[in-house]
Amino acid sequence: MAELNRGPDPLSLPPIPARVQLMAVAWLRWRIFVNGMFRRRSSTARQAVSIVLVILLRLIVWPFLALMVIGPVGGSGFLAWIAIAHHHPQRLQTLLAGISLMWQFVSINGLSIAATVSSFDPSALTRYPLRFGRYFVARTLIGFMAPSTIVGCLAVLAAAIGIGIARPALVLPAVIVLAVYGIMNVFLTRMIGAWMERWLANRRFREIFSVLMALFVVSFQLLNFQRYPQHHAASGGWLVAFLQSSASYLRWLPPGFAASAILRSSHFAVASAQFLLLLASTALFAGVFAIRLRKQFLGEYLGDGIARRAQSARRRTAATRPAPSPAMQSEFGGGAYPPVIAACLRKEWLTFRGNTAQLIGLATPLFFVVILNRGIFSLHPTLFLPGALAYVMIGVLANLYNVFGADGLGVQIYLLAPVRMRDVILAKNIAGLILISTEASLAWALVTVLKRIPIQASTQISTLLWVVFVIGTNLALGTLRSIQAPRRFTPGYGQQRRGIPTNRTSGLLILFVLFGSLLLQIPVLLLCHRMHQPWLAAWIFGPLAAAAVAAYAVLLQNAERLMMAHRDVFAEQLCKT
Amino acid sequence: MTTPAIETIALTRRFGDFIAVDDVHLRVDAGQFFGFLGPNGAGKSTTIKMLTGLLAPTSGSVRILGVDFAAHSAEIKRQIGVVPEGMALFGRLTADEFLRFVGRMYGLDRGTAQQRTDELLEFMQLAGEDKKLIADFSHGMQKKLALAAAVIHGPRLLFLDEPFEGVDAVAAGTLKSMLQRMIARGATIFLTSHVLEIVERLCTHIAIIHRGHLVAQGSLEELRAGRARIGQSGAESAPQEERRRSLEEIFLEIVGIDREGSPAAAPPEKELSWLS
Repeated sequence: MAELNRGPDPLSLPPIPARVQLMAVAWLRWRIFVNGMFRRRSSTARQAVSIVLVILLRLIVWPFLALMVIGPVGGSGFLAWIAIAHHHPQRLQTLLAGISLMWQFVSINGLSIAATVSSFDPSALTRYPLRFGRYFVARTLIGFMAPSTIVGCLAVLAAAIGIGIARPALVLPAVIVLAVYGIMNVFLTRMIGAWMERWLANRRFREIFSVLMALFVVSFQLLNFQRYPQHHAASGGWLVAFLQSSASYLRWLPPGFAASAILRSSHFAVASAQFLLLLASTALFAGVFAIRLRKQFLGEYLGDGIARRAQSARRRTAATRPAPSPAMQSEFGGGAYPPVIAACLRKEWLTFRGNTAQLIGLATPLFFVVILNRGIFSLHPTLFLPGALAYVMIGVLANLYNVFGADGLGVQIYLLAPVRMRDVILAKNIAGLILISTEASLAWALVTVLKRIPIQASTQISTLLWVVFVIGTNLALGTLRSIQAPRRFTPGYGQQRRGIPTNRTSGLLILFVLFGSLLLQIPVLLLCHRMHQPWLAAWIFGPLAAAAVAAYAVLLQNAERLMMAHRDVFAEQLCKT
Repeated sequence: MTTPAIETIALTRRFGDFIAVDDVHLRVDAGQFFGFLGPNGAGKSTTIKMLTGLLAPTSGSVRILGVDFAAHSAEIKRQIGVVPEGMALFGRLTADEFLRFVGRMYGLDRGTAQQRTDELLEFMQLAGEDKKLIADFSHGMQKKLALAAAVIHGPRLLFLDEPFEGVDAVAAGTLKSMLQRMIARGATIFLTSHVLEIVERLCTHIAIIHRGHLVAQGSLEELRAGRARIGQSGAESAPQEERRRSLEEIFLEIVGIDREGSPAAAPPEKELSWLS
């Protein structure tokens, strides 16, 4: 038996070949991808149906995704061809800047999607005996199949082809320069991603970032209307104009270096200088990315949990917590609710209060109501009220479908305490209802202030009944799915535990019901319009609302029994450590 | 004097103005089964993360197998195996895929990686679970898999952070059997656990950390004899009784007295109104 305590000197061992480790990382990523696509779980008829539905969904979704790739790629090739063939060389740098912007925008948006769908954290590779250089290469190559990289690389390739078709003499310099330009963008993406990862590890920064992103999206749309009010609907025209007007600045940035290096390839000295500047930009982004990775590699602590725990511990020792005042104790009780419901409501309020991202998520749609008023609803003012309400309610209604998910392990408290689960569900639904009502009321008030034409009483009544129908339907189905298929998630993080096999199927069902109930307003209103019967909508939505509320009441009556029947699902999905 | 398996010099880690680990001088000799104890939040996991390179120290140094970790992290990582706090498994792989990946990362050739994977899965009673993703494993199965991944390359030094937490008796028996084999082969094991009975049964040497400070270090006998205390001025406790004291009693006595000699971790004397 080997004597491990007299093993070889760690420094005398032959190095592990880089190829072996990098191939292992590539294989790991591939297997995670394959296993994510085709889950290998016990096969039952139900799961087979689920797989069929998923495949059908992908057959529907993928063509749209393909169009999202074909559009920018084809556009890049065409615009590059136009720029050279029609003698507008300055447009090439604008095009390259546009490609860069798109690349980074898709990448930043992809970060949140990746956090949701991927269980792979590349920083976990620091546990293995990798040298820093290999870690750098692995981190650079991981994500090479990310949508941003695929679309960006194809767009750059298309631009090279467009240039080549317009002027074949430029093919070689275009291919070389744009290859470096593509690499530069890869490093720029990685650099931004790595620093974002660092900053987003801090809770305060996450909150600030959420606010900034919301402001960015809103102000982007407002600017669009400000610049082109006549276009009403969203248009990227002002962005193109902005890029064209900023041509003088772009000359001093990588898009300008790349464009000059291609266009002035006949002047070797000038082209070389521009190409060197492009290489220097690439090296700069790679260097800044490497600095961040190096810190991570050496064992940087990214979270802020320990310091916050320490601070709260200090606060606890500094001052003894006073006993809750009678006013505080009755904050949610006040005699209006039974104690269990009051306690659950208070817990929901405390959770909600501490979640800035959720607060922002509630505020942002209201800004969009203002924007939509100047956009699509300026063309269809009769749809403004139902449209605005449907828009602001989508997000909050979706929360009804997994009311226990954010509790995670904490759900055991409900399961173990001598409380009726019906009361717990009711409390959670009341909390959800308060949010939806607040959001809908604010949107309604906004519509009243912003309206372009008077809103008829028949529209207001039918909309109110429709809202009751939508809320009732989604509460009923949401409660059922919350019991049957809970899945754990951390609010504000975008990450969630893998759900049970039926979740994808139920996801389709949820989408169908959620959007179906919201969009039902359109055919009904069209019918009213065609038949010249403005009150018909109220007659249609009235019984539907009553039926939806009745369905919810029946479900609530059976909540206890349903919960008992699905305790194992709760244990599996929420209580498992 | 032999080269220690682990040696820390003035190891310190701060998080903002909070000092999680403060000036820790630790020495673990090769071949020891070393238990690292402390109350919740004492700095155990922070220390183990620094010893395995997952967290950089604010100051001080770590030498593993006689080599400075900061300067030769890749070489040292080849010689150590780690079961970290969160196990760090890739949930969307199967156990077989995960172990083969780990083996390749440690430089094993394909054949050896596959052979050891098969053996380890058999030993850990995970061989029948080849179609299951790790995310669907029970907690105990994940622990066994994490341990298998930590030993697949035959490390000389094994770090285990709470390896028995949430593990049933059968799985715990398997893990203990594996650890005993490792020790028999001459490996060094550094283990943290809150289950003091297990530490007492398995470990030959023990260190206790409290509020970031190393307060005791030595063999179990030295602890019992009160000769393992560090930095105690007036609270030196001589063996008080004839009978052999349990590790739990020793632990409570040590962490119950802070560095100034006043009770720190003793249960509060104030009674709960509804239990009195």
